Amino acid sequence: MLIELDKVCKTYNQGLANEVNALDEISLSITSQSMTCLQGASGSGKSTLLSIIGCIIPPTSGRAAIAGKQLTRLPDRFRTIHRRETIGFIFQRFNILPRLNVLDNICLPLQPLGIKPKEQKKRARVLMQTLGIDHRENFPADQISGGELQRVAIARALINDPPIILADEPTAHLDTKLSGEFMEIMARLRVNGKTIIITSHDPLVADHSAIDQTIAIRDGRIDVD
Amino acid sequence: MLINQWSIALNLLSLALIFTLTIAATTAIRVVSSWQPAADHNRQIRLENEIWLTSTLIKYALAFLILNLFLFVMAADNFSQIIAGAMCATGALLANSYGMPALYTKIIGIFFYGFWIIIHQLDISSERYPLVKFKYGYLLLLYPLIIVDLSLQTLYLVNLDPDIITSCCAVVFQSPAANDGNLIANLPAHILPMFYGAITLVGIINLSKIPKMGWSGPSSTALFWILLLPLALIAITTVFSSYIYAMPFHHCPFCILKPEYNYIGFAIYSSLFTAVFFGLADSLAACWQTNQDLEKQVHKFRRFSRRLALIMLSIFTVLSSWHYLLYSLLGGES
Repeated sequence: MLIELDKVCKTYNQGLANEVNALDEISLSITSQSMTCLQGASGSGKSTLLSIIGCIIPPTSGRAAIAGKQLTRLPDRFRTIHRRETIGFIFQRFNILPRLNVLDNICLPLQPLGIKPKEQKKRARVLMQTLGIDHRENFPADQISGGELQRVAIARALINDPPIILADEPTAHLDTKLSGEFMEIMARLRVNGKTIIITSHDPLVADHSAIDQTIAIRDGRIDVD
Repeated sequence: MLINQWSIALNLLSLALIFTLTIAATTAIRVVSSWQPAADHNRQIRLENEIWLTSTLIKYALAFLILNLFLFVMAADNFSQIIAGAMCATGALLANSYGMPALYTKIIGIFFYGFWIIIHQLDISSERYPLVKFKYGYLLLLYPLIIVDLSLQTLYLVNLDPDIITSCCAVVFQSPAANDGNLIANLPAHILPMFYGAITLVGIINLSKIPKMGWSGPSSTALFWILLLPLALIAITTVFSSYIYAMPFHHCPFCILKPEYNYIGFAIYSSLFTAVFFGLADSLAACWQTNQDLEKQVHKFRRFSRRLALIMLSIFTVLSSWHYLLYSLLGGES
């Protein structure tokens, strides 16, 4: 099992008047080289769950392990290293830096690794070619289309060659055609050995043929219905 | 003498440090009583999140306590311009009964404070928090020493009366033949052969395989470093200082900190304390050389600390002996 969660709880503002229980005893397992969809309404806790799996935030209690290791509870410096090597993120609004060009945006995760610029560009160009955005290499990120922006975000998530890809509502701001294209790319990545977790309330994602497992989240709990 | 810029700075620093370290001590109590690295419950995860910030704060607080020794000596040197009879920090520190105990506590303290920082650095170099419980337990043991250190400093500052007539270093550290009020009268003769012998011995031991030999090797190495420190301080006071001042009857461990002597004392003492500290830290780190989580880091740190200790010891030997050797070899500095 690649990802294992056992009775994971997450409470924001613990002990304060505005305390929120975002997750309540979530237990789940995700095998490697699979595609999982975390489905749920806005505020159901799926993004919190993704953040815990992505080692961005620690759980309040419970065990969250990746490959048998509780990465979320490692000291911050080690967690950062593991996150950098293990996980690629695709954000809801893609979080692309508009002032940088496409190439520099994709190379961004390689900056802290001390990889030579020549090698960085080489890796980025291979990905741009695979994703069909190589003709936009020197375009500023704010001058490309939504579909291309999405591919830049995917390329940036893949540049470190992480085994796990986490995508938080990646199709929320895309039309049906672009959403379909996104899922096709994800399906190809799954075939190539990546483990993919997507949060979405879009039926186009949840019902896609490449999805191996759909986990419904409601009010911070796994909805068994 | 509380309304003085040095007193205000030292007291404010003390307040900030006591405040920070008291909060840290409450965390330490919780860590010592309920740290369970294997547990997944909320209390353990909260502690894990909490200790990261707390440990960083403790590290900086203890580093400031180490720097506080230099500030304290500089303050005492500054007070000597106000206190009647005092010519340097010696007179200022002897102006009341708290000065010298405060200085000795601070000198001992810098080693213990520094050891906490070393243990912390080793701990955070591993993914598994192997020394958390130990370092927080050690902090609880350090806490009384910190309170004594800062209390003695405050008592010294509060009781400092500029009108009191105090001794000066010319009386306190006069030649061994003299008697009343003389701090160096009863010191052993032939201090120089002992000093150079000890330095040679410590150097040879650290270059040999002795520090790597089980428990006895690091322990005996530490013992030699501990013995070297007072010997070096005596040699500076009784022999080397008078060559630096170019005055045969002037023996003072503090005047060498003055600008007239190009602040050479700061370089001499810094190199000596750094050498002894890292020499001892090497032996301290040996306690965890068989710890599976720390084996590599301890090995790396010990190699670094041994090298640094020897480099600093060499620098100290050259700096402290420089004027003496010039006189001995060239018959003067002309």
